[in-house]
Amino acid sequence: MARSPSLHVAVIGAGIVGAAAAHFLAAAGARVTLLDASGPAAGATGASDGAVSVASKKPGPMMDLARHARAFYGSCEADGLLRGLFHRRSTFLVARTRLEAELVAEHGADLAAAGERVLDVDRPTLLNRIPGLGDGVCFALEIPDDGHALGYEITQRLLQRSAVTVRRNAPVSEIVMRAGQAVGVTIRDELLPADAVLVAAGIGSVGLLGLGDILIPRKGQMVVTDRAAAGRPAIDGHLMAASYLAAKRGIVRDNAHIGLVIDPLVTGQFLIGGSREDHRADQATDAATISAILRDALDLYPPLRQRRVLRTFAGVRTASRDGLPIVGPHPHLGGVTIATGFEGDGICLGPFMGASAARMILGEAPGVDLSMLAPQRFSRAEALA
Amino acid sequence: MTDLAKTDLAKTDLAKTDLAMTELPVLVVGGGPAGVAAAVALAEAGLRVLLIEQRDRLGGAIHRQPAVGAPQIWRGPARHRRNWAELASRLEHVAERIELRTSTVFLGIDGAGRFLFDDRMAGRVFARPVRAAIVAVGAVEKIAPFEGWELPGVMSAGGAQVLLKETGRPPEGPIVVAGSGPLLLAVAAQLARAGNPPLAVLERGRPWHKPKALARLMTAGAPLAEAASYAAVLALKRVPCHVGSEVLGVSETGQGLTIRVRAGSAESLLQARHLLIHDGLEPNRAGIPLPAPGAEVPVLLAGDGREILGADAAILDGQRAASAVLSRLGHAASAAPLEAALSKARNFQLALAEALRSKATPPTPQTMLCRCEGRRYADFAALPADASAREIRLMGRFGLGACQGRFCGPMLAELRGEALPTANPPRWPLRPVSVAALANFSTDETES
Ligand SMILES: Cc1cc2nc3c(=O)[nH]c(=O)nc-3n(C[C@H](O)[C@H](O)[C@H](O)COP(=O)(O)OP(=O)(O)OC[C@H]3O[C@@H](n4cnc5c(N)ncnc54)[C@H](O)[C@@H]3O)c2cc1C
Ligand SMILES: Cc1cc2nc3c(=O)[nH]c(=O)nc-3n(C[C@H](O)[C@H](O)[C@H](O)COP(=O)(O)OP(=O)(O)OC[C@H]3O[C@@H](n4cnc5c(N)ncnc54)[C@H](O)[C@@H]3O)c2cc1C
Repeated sequence: MARSPSLHVAVIGAGIVGAAAAHFLAAAGARVTLLDASGPAAGATGASDGAVSVASKKPGPMMDLARHARAFYGSCEADGLLRGLFHRRSTFLVARTRLEAELVAEHGADLAAAGERVLDVDRPTLLNRIPGLGDGVCFALEIPDDGHALGYEITQRLLQRSAVTVRRNAPVSEIVMRAGQAVGVTIRDELLPADAVLVAAGIGSVGLLGLGDILIPRKGQMVVTDRAAAGRPAIDGHLMAASYLAAKRGIVRDNAHIGLVIDPLVTGQFLIGGSREDHRADQATDAATISAILRDALDLYPPLRQRRVLRTFAGVRTASRDGLPIVGPHPHLGGVTIATGFEGDGICLGPFMGASAARMILGEAPGVDLSMLAPQRFSRAEALA
Repeated sequence: MTDLAKTDLAKTDLAKTDLAMTELPVLVVGGGPAGVAAAVALAEAGLRVLLIEQRDRLGGAIHRQPAVGAPQIWRGPARHRRNWAELASRLEHVAERIELRTSTVFLGIDGAGRFLFDDRMAGRVFARPVRAAIVAVGAVEKIAPFEGWELPGVMSAGGAQVLLKETGRPPEGPIVVAGSGPLLLAVAAQLARAGNPPLAVLERGRPWHKPKALARLMTAGAPLAEAASYAAVLALKRVPCHVGSEVLGVSETGQGLTIRVRAGSAESLLQARHLLIHDGLEPNRAGIPLPAPGAEVPVLLAGDGREILGADAAILDGQRAASAVLSRLGHAASAAPLEAALSKARNFQLALAEALRSKATPPTPQTMLCRCEGRRYADFAALPADASAREIRLMGRFGLGACQGRFCGPMLAELRGEALPTANPPRWPLRPVSVAALANFSTDETES
């Protein structure tokens, strides 16, 4: 499958996207060096939830891509690569006001139009599925074909099952160009020669490629509780509040919005999130935000009252100006491919997008039309330096 | 405050800010000898102090009091009791400047610089602005892991000591005390006094092979006398103490434990109901945030939480930290000759460590390292040698459980031969906190 067995690709960033690209490049016979400033899953991938969810996506290309990406998880789970790491479970879209109910209903119609199964659930059925659900919940839809995967587990598995050379503590400061073509990358004083370079460095891509006008960091704070059940999810589905949909559909634009999700992990713990703080690239959590998340979570699902908070953490989503990921060849730098801008969807999209980026680098067409993600789209307005 | 004072000071914004700053307390976390000594010294210098202790009363590891109604079976060396009584009476004198909050856990500093506390009685997390902080949260016990240490019936010697002090009753049935360090003798002697002398004390080190270190210890005075008194009790109760002897593994048999012991090249089996293990102390640093030296709100460590120097030195170290805070805040601080006394304590600890230095047999792959998440040595060995902090936590699942690595952290560092990389920024909460209490969080504005 590989063009040349000697093709050496330097992949910058060992998040889920870089790890997937590296895995599939190596599987196709390329020689791959995966470089990370810290280590695998050091960025958003190790500080996120893992909803592999179509239910949450904005109608349009994102919803369609998410359906492909979720199906890709299914096939990787079936062929053994991701066995045991991808768990099917329903997403419940829940509304607590009339306005929210309208929003959820509208979103449900969009999902159905995209081909997604959408089930109406009345309150008694819902209470049967999620005992203890808050009194305020007045409307809900079930999206039964969603799933969950932990970004760091996926990253680790992709790297274990491949011959990729992983270099930790290897910050890339520069992509070295000669005659318009990438010839390698600089790591401190070292020049690592490469025939092709993939930039999958999350928010670090900004510095490497000068994308400050195109990408912004969006911090998210989350909470992990102790176990409510032993070795199985404590409730029968992922609770996604209308506030999360509102953010995803671009209805709210305030800088410290909380899009509430309550995610039952397979360990029996809950993962509760999250804030959406634009232009924040730090990983600190603060009591005011965390307590606001918890107050909202208690309103939606009061049994959380019995849990204890074990940890809080924050991750940084990399959001593009137009809300779509950036995947494809750099318009001016030969031999450089970009795969970033996955915002709050990169765990879902990551393996599929990494595999697609690998195919692009190998000169093959990705299985799905990804032209709307091409970096080229920004160079019309200004030079993508 | 009178109304007059209020109007006077409210004249300029500057005066207002000054007042707010000077009225802010200095935070002291930990009500052991170091924390209480620091709080007293600060209050005596005229500052307001907020003293936070997670337990329901002051005392720390050494002056832990029996629970209400339980008998006091052991009162510790007279010197320690005198020191504590003196601190307590000084505390009385400056009580109006010290706001004491017991049953309150320090949760760390959040990303907005808030000092966070969990009021366990009220079920509420609160924040308080402070001028400076002294963190004196004591030590954690180390253990050298071997197969079966996580079984019921095995517990840390320090934990057993706490139970003994609080309940006034020793565990029932035959007990073996093993590991390394002076605490083995202390706990064994306390058990003997309480009516259940251990079957045996097994010390891994061979102090008789380290004559130079022993000679240095002989000049120690008070701590030496303390050790001698424990040894005397053990001799009287005919408790055999073996050196150069270590536990290789333990398994459950019927009602009790079968303990596999090695001394030199000889192995033997012991039967007991309880195995108490301990391998020294380490500063309790897990997640303690230390801002840069020039930070607006300085945070200093004191006592065993800074350096393991023992109970006498902990008092001095609390005073040292208080002096440092006072001079940072522009107050005259007494330059008492603390450093000399601290370095004497340090030399004693170094000699002790040298006398007992011994390498534990490496754990087998099956040996449990993290009880919270059930992670074994094989899981740890499978991590790459240059694994990042995040890989150790997320992929190794070490330090992810309820104790947040407070217990397995030192163990892993020992096995790795270097300190574990720390999470950056440090994480709060330092301890698990109820969802309801944290949801109840009130901000600084309403608090102060
Ligand atoms: C709070 C939160 C919740 C989320 N929940 C979900 C969810 O439920 N479902 C979902 O699908 N997605 C979710 N996401 C989004 C998802 O985590 C990200 O989209 C995804 O992890 C992005 O992966 P990545 O590989 O592109 O980037 P990252 O994981 O950020 O990886 C980039 C890597 O590049 C490295 N790097 C950066 N610069 C350099 C350099 N110069 N040299 C070398 N290495 C460099 C970094 O160290 C890092 O390891 C969430 C994100 C957050 C923050
Ligand atoms: C298990 C054990 C047994 C010991 N036995 C002996 C002995 O027999 N003889 C002897 O001479 N010395 C003994 N020592 C040593 C002696 O106790 C110490 O040298 C001395 O107590 C140190 O004082 P300190 O104030 O630094 O810490 P400590 O006395 O440990 O005090 C720390 C205090 O901080 C509190 N704290 C911790 N974390 C938090 C938090 N997050 N929020 C609020 N409060 C918190 C603790 O409850 C504790 O009261 C023992 C130590 C330990 C750990």
